[in-house]
Amino acid sequence: MVEGAELVPMLGMGIAAVMARRGADMTHLAALLGISAMPVARALKAGSGEIIIGTGPEMWLVISPDAAPDWGESLAERLAGVASVSDQSGGYALYSLRGAKARQLLQKGAFIDLHPDAFGRGSAATTVIAHAGVILWQTEEEAPAFELALFRSFQASLEHWFTVALAAMAAAD
Amino acid sequence: MRIPCPYCGPRDTHEFVCRGETDTNRPDNDEAFYDYVYLRDNPIGSVREHWYHAQGCRNWLTVTRDSQTHEISEAVLAKDAAR
Ligand SMILES: [Zn+2]
Repeated sequence: MVEGAELVPMLGMGIAAVMARRGADMTHLAALLGISAMPVARALKAGSGEIIIGTGPEMWLVISPDAAPDWGESLAERLAGVASVSDQSGGYALYSLRGAKARQLLQKGAFIDLHPDAFGRGSAATTVIAHAGVILWQTEEEAPAFELALFRSFQASLEHWFTVALAAMAAAD
Repeated sequence: MRIPCPYCGPRDTHEFVCRGETDTNRPDNDEAFYDYVYLRDNPIGSVREHWYHAQGCRNWLTVTRDSQTHEISEAVLAKDAAR
């Protein structure tokens, strides 16, 4: 594990926003995604490797590693009639934030309570870091390992925040 | 001030946009529009307001807030409040 913290872009992933259709059966939607229940303010991984993150009431972000170019369309077909799918693969950038001090560093940017009791494995939140909206979740992995999605045009802003916050944390130690 | 979003949990107000009191309806004539845009009752005590969780779950909330103490007695999704 990294001693401090590192911010690593995650590339080549398929990203889609999913919204349940009015009156949709949540159990059916979950079954179509290969999970037992739709997550609320949580992130979970399906057997297929897809990550499903609760971002709002009956709204989710679904991420697929190594997605084929037509993944978004095929997801829309899979969920047809139950949920609307909007391919966001070109709209969001994804990052992994990890290391022994990842949580401490993240708390310098996010206003939400990141104490492990309040935000642990599988927790997810849509919030703000350095004035940029982010969807943030903690993975199921050992040690603090977070992943986040933000609109691609804010990438430089997030990377700048990370560099400055990391330097400030190192200087304070 | 923190707003207890029913989906996201307690969040800082700067994640929200306040739309103002809930019980005004958009008028259908020009004369009433001045009042609608500029005039507010501004009462002391309990007020019901619409807040948009722009930097969170992107949903409208109906928030019941005390205008003197800022104490929030209720925050629900506006779509649920409207039902
Ligand atoms: Zn919210």
